[in-house]
Amino acid sequence: MSGPRITLVVLAWNQWRLTERCLQTLAATDLEGAEVLVVDNGSTDETPDRLARIPWVRTLRLPQNAGFVRGNNAGIAAAAPGSDVVLLNNDLELTQRDWLHRLAACARSAPDVGVVGCRMVLPDGRLLHAGTYIMPDTLWGQQVGSLERDIGQHAGIEEVEGIVFACAYIKREVLDAIGPLALDFESYFEDTDFCLRARRAGWKTVLCGEVTLIHDEHGSTRGDDRALMELFQGSREIFRRKWQGELDARYRCQLLWQSIMNFPTGYAMSCRELLRALDELGVRTVYRYVYGPKTVFPPVEPESSGDYRLNVIRGRPEPRSPEVAVVYGQGDVFARNRGRRKVGFTMLEVDGFPREWVRQANRMDEVWVPSEFNRRGFLDSGLERPIHVVPLGVDVRYFNPGIAAYPNPAGEFVFLALFEWGERKEPSLLLRAFNDEFAAHEPVRLLCKVINRDPGVRLKEEIRRLRLRAAGGRISYLFNLEFPHYQLGALYRSADAFVAVSRGEGWNMPLMEAMACGLPTIATDWGAHQEFVHAGNAYPLRVRKLVPARAKCPYYDGFRWADPDPEHLRFLLRHVYEHRDEARARGLAAAREMASRWTWTAAAQRIAGRLEAMGVLPASAARGADRAGSLAAVPGRAGGASTAA
Amino acid sequence: MKVAPSEPEEEAAAPLASSDADLRIARLEGQVAALEAALERRSHELRELQRLLCRRDLAQWARLQAGLPPLPRIPYEPGYWHETLELTVAEVPETLEALWTSIHPERPATFALGAAAARPRTPG
Repeated sequence: MSGPRITLVVLAWNQWRLTERCLQTLAATDLEGAEVLVVDNGSTDETPDRLARIPWVRTLRLPQNAGFVRGNNAGIAAAAPGSDVVLLNNDLELTQRDWLHRLAACARSAPDVGVVGCRMVLPDGRLLHAGTYIMPDTLWGQQVGSLERDIGQHAGIEEVEGIVFACAYIKREVLDAIGPLALDFESYFEDTDFCLRARRAGWKTVLCGEVTLIHDEHGSTRGDDRALMELFQGSREIFRRKWQGELDARYRCQLLWQSIMNFPTGYAMSCRELLRALDELGVRTVYRYVYGPKTVFPPVEPESSGDYRLNVIRGRPEPRSPEVAVVYGQGDVFARNRGRRKVGFTMLEVDGFPREWVRQANRMDEVWVPSEFNRRGFLDSGLERPIHVVPLGVDVRYFNPGIAAYPNPAGEFVFLALFEWGERKEPSLLLRAFNDEFAAHEPVRLLCKVINRDPGVRLKEEIRRLRLRAAGGRISYLFNLEFPHYQLGALYRSADAFVAVSRGEGWNMPLMEAMACGLPTIATDWGAHQEFVHAGNAYPLRVRKLVPARAKCPYYDGFRWADPDPEHLRFLLRHVYEHRDEARARGLAAAREMASRWTWTAAAQRIAGRLEAMGVLPASAARGADRAGSLAAVPGRAGGASTAA
Repeated sequence: MKVAPSEPEEEAAAPLASSDADLRIARLEGQVAALEAALERRSHELRELQRLLCRRDLAQWARLQAGLPPLPRIPYEPGYWHETLELTVAEVPETLEALWTSIHPERPATFALGAAAARPRTPG
């Protein structure tokens, strides 16, 4: 092919200011091998005249506004023969010089990649788009990561359900196979529809997170909300008739999931991640709060999770007699399981399980725990039902070494620790060891993010009582601050090492997240986190012996936990501080391992595997390897951001 | 020969008449009284500040008086932390910027927190 390899189709309708800005920013990027074709969608302002004065742009003038879909299709039809096509809205700013070549490389990275999108941010810097998804329950598409602060999340290459066509790289082979945008739609949903059709023909839609563009969303239609909504609803109805059945068919089984979701607890956070991952895997989960009045945790759960997908899952009607129900929470609420077949999924931080938990667990069809550590503990405590290890995971799109950092500008080496004040985390051990090992004049600091919700604990007094030396290692605290979970990667990345000293763990999510971010970590060598922590990816902290677990928590009565070695802790702190290259390498090894083995998708697949073994899920869904594509029909996403029509 | 100390210049130049001296003394006494009153008011204000403000606000005020940058609006040291069981919602970038600046006021952290804020630093 001698002509351009890529045709950029910029759709414009009036608002010359936007088109001009888009073209100016486009001209400053590397467009080798590409031609720019502006489709003037019947503009009545100065757009035609201005375009005529730009020699490097080919213009296709339509006599009147043909709408977003027909306008783009006109551009596709006029594209250089055989070229790939990139659809671009005119309200984009392209600030990345190599954006086009990265998209093209991503598109050509595998034969089955068909459509490629990119990250988009709003002019104020918030993330607007990192792919899209649509729930068959509502057919109201959502943009992944929308309005989150941009901390560098979704910066890799990942398969997604769909993308908005404000910027869409479409391979020629896909256009040849399925044709241009469907004329069923004037605007909205055409992008979802296209991704679904591409999927049906065997092409994946991929987010190339290496590229970020600024999108002044709805630049050319802003201010006419009613017209937009009418347009949207009309397209939505067409989309429903076309795709509802196929989207519903993505789900191969239904699962009642009784747990906790909208409180700041470890169970709740992991519950949210599991629900998302299961839904993406084709397991239709119905969520119900398992605690509340007359339980060990009486508060009523807040209704909104702040997450669209989770709110939809929470709003689904409960089946009358669910075939399978999973209670994910403490073992003393297993009895609330409402399924015909019952699964209890729990964890604990000591070497056994309370009698009441075991009693209720023995009424389950099977029990799940995240670690071999807990499996042994349950069996030792008298469990008689089948028990399976179902590990938890980490979202490496938000926790990875490329996430933004806000490091100490003075260049101090920062150890970070996150913990709730209490007997189990044994904060005095860490604070004393650090304070004793280092001197105030050394450029090193321990930063502790501390939570205290125990009215019986006076935190200031507890710290004062430690009598830490003014001349010793310096410690700073962040007290009772609640960060959005998606931002925690930036906190980890702003430190140089992570310390997870505790007497016992049921899993330890922060530790896993810190490891996924590439931090060298020091962690007690005893507990459930041994599932993913070893000497090759962390610095295990020696345990002197097991001791009786004495704490306010009644669940620990009669069991044991670890007694970490303070001298070894001091040694490890000093060692990590003085052997930074080695520590960094170990941290990066941890990041690689977390990304390859411990994702939430992998966790959901393990659950799907159990459901398959129980005979409630067809085999293909459980084995599906890719993130969204394991089922017959993979969801698209919603009509999002068509703007130039 | 010993040299006698010289008289103050202005007195030497123009010795005051008795009435002028009285007037001057009266003015000075008036100024002293005004200063004493101002000092009393100030002392009262300070006592009130000490009585009403928490330790953190006092420190904040003292730093501002001394021309130092203010402390960040986050609890970063036990002494300044208001003991509570409530969680305060916060953002990581602003919190860290404030934290580092409070620790090293001479080298304030200035992260690009606005548009296109976070560009990843090199892994590892």
